[in-house]
Amino acid sequence: MRYFSNIWQAITTLLIGMRVTIVHFFKARKGIVTLQYPVERWPRPERNIGFSFDSYNVIRSRLHVDMDDCIGCLKCVRACPVDCIRIETFKVEKGVDIPEANHIGVTSQGTQKRLLVTRFDIDMTECCYCNLCTYPCPEECIYMVGGPNSSKHEIDYEFSEYDRNNIIYRFAKVPPEEVARRKAEKEMEKTAL
Amino acid sequence: MVDFFLEKFSQISWLTGLPDGILFVLAVILIAIPIFLFLAVNALVVVYAERKISAFMQDRLGPMGQGAGLHAGKWGLLQTVADTVKLISKEDIIPAAVDKKLFISAPFIFFIGSFITFVALPFNQTIVAANFNIGIFYIVAVSSVGVIGIILAGYGSNNKWSLYGAMRSAAQIISYEIPVALSLLTVVMLVGSLQMQEIIKAQDGVIWGFLPHWFVFKNPFTFIAFFILFISGVAEVNRTPFDIPEAESELVAGFHTEYSGLRWAFFFLAEYANVFIVAGVASVVFLGGWQSPIPGFLEGSGWGLVWFLGKAIFLIFTMIWFRWTFPRLRTDQLMVMCWKYFIPIAFINIMGVGLWDLFVS
Repeated sequence: MRYFSNIWQAITTLLIGMRVTIVHFFKARKGIVTLQYPVERWPRPERNIGFSFDSYNVIRSRLHVDMDDCIGCLKCVRACPVDCIRIETFKVEKGVDIPEANHIGVTSQGTQKRLLVTRFDIDMTECCYCNLCTYPCPEECIYMVGGPNSSKHEIDYEFSEYDRNNIIYRFAKVPPEEVARRKAEKEMEKTAL
Repeated sequence: MVDFFLEKFSQISWLTGLPDGILFVLAVILIAIPIFLFLAVNALVVVYAERKISAFMQDRLGPMGQGAGLHAGKWGLLQTVADTVKLISKEDIIPAAVDKKLFISAPFIFFIGSFITFVALPFNQTIVAANFNIGIFYIVAVSSVGVIGIILAGYGSNNKWSLYGAMRSAAQIISYEIPVALSLLTVVMLVGSLQMQEIIKAQDGVIWGFLPHWFVFKNPFTFIAFFILFISGVAEVNRTPFDIPEAESELVAGFHTEYSGLRWAFFFLAEYANVFIVAGVASVVFLGGWQSPIPGFLEGSGWGLVWFLGKAIFLIFTMIWFRWTFPRLRTDQLMVMCWKYFIPIAFINIMGVGLWDLFVS
């Protein structure tokens, strides 16, 4: 008798299972849990950490530089423990705008710039998010996005890229032709000396 | 079909000068190429369908194309094409410790086993590569040739997991051949012929007033026989819930652990060809092959192909449905199911069909 009840039980339980899957198959469009990531994304959750986050940068998000304020002092380069910041500068006339190089002579704090920053690269693959570069900056132009700086730049927590080169952030705004021209000029001066 | 092509050749003047042997080979190649193409397309479509259906059953989306370059086309339609290109372009790795001859020949033997089964499968009233008078016997015989390929692959790989998989596969296929053959025997008893076309022609007309006269509906014993045939067929092609030769959760990938690239693709192609064979044989023998589900409605050779493929596709869908519903069986449970349940029931079925045919109808 056990034998026949086994068969009966097998058939009925298998049918129950098959009903479950077929119901899911035909209702497929309703309860899909897949999120097609680059097109759709989850909304960023409301943060509740027990205290106001305005004064404390909880998310070590990515670094951002306001190039209009950068004076090219290299303090952040010296502070960086992993050497992921690269800066190149050219000497220019103090406090004068150079429109062809997108250079503004005076910072938002009133400092007159002596240097034209032609290269400001941060390799985010090496960055360890220690935040040490932001403290020495005299103009407070390099900062971690988010937290107290959320008003300065939009927060972003998913900075994945299709190309690995895009993870090296190049902040300098000087067009490459202008850089090449200045380099050539410098060479000329050197040879003249 | 070979005779058909030979007759056509005899009407073409410049071909008649060639010796008969060459003409015969030419005719066979003309039949083999479409079958191969059909197998390839079948594998592409079924793999895509399987991924989509499994995804929907699990509330997922499956392969989807989205983003900048529409990676896999709309709804991921190009996913299997991309997979094929990847498999073909992969490096052909032959591990140092394998038995080279066996390792290389195994996928082809496995593939040939499923390829030659197509010879006897009737697609409609005329399209059948060879209309044997022993058609069903031939299918039962050659569909188990594939197990030689599996055992060679497992033995030649020189790998514990592969050998385990191969041995399990041998045990499984040999066991499940018996209920398959016994279930087919019930139909052979009713028809009195082993020829596939004769079996289909015998399923003409109406039964019980409204049902098509297919052997599933013929009597209660053939109804059970159909399910035994179909489930044993699923077991024979090593699909989940009966995937103990592959057993991805215990044996890495079973007999094809060491294979990669094109050789692995051949295993895959043959596996999906086997899936189609099981569905095709079940639909020919029990579901009336190319017979229309409504007798006298939409008949003819073109519709015959549609009906046959429709029935086969429905059964393939059912196999995919099984796969994504049922938990896997353990080796001993598999053997218990075959020897303690299917084989006795199949024997009772044969007696039952005989008695029913004698006394009831």
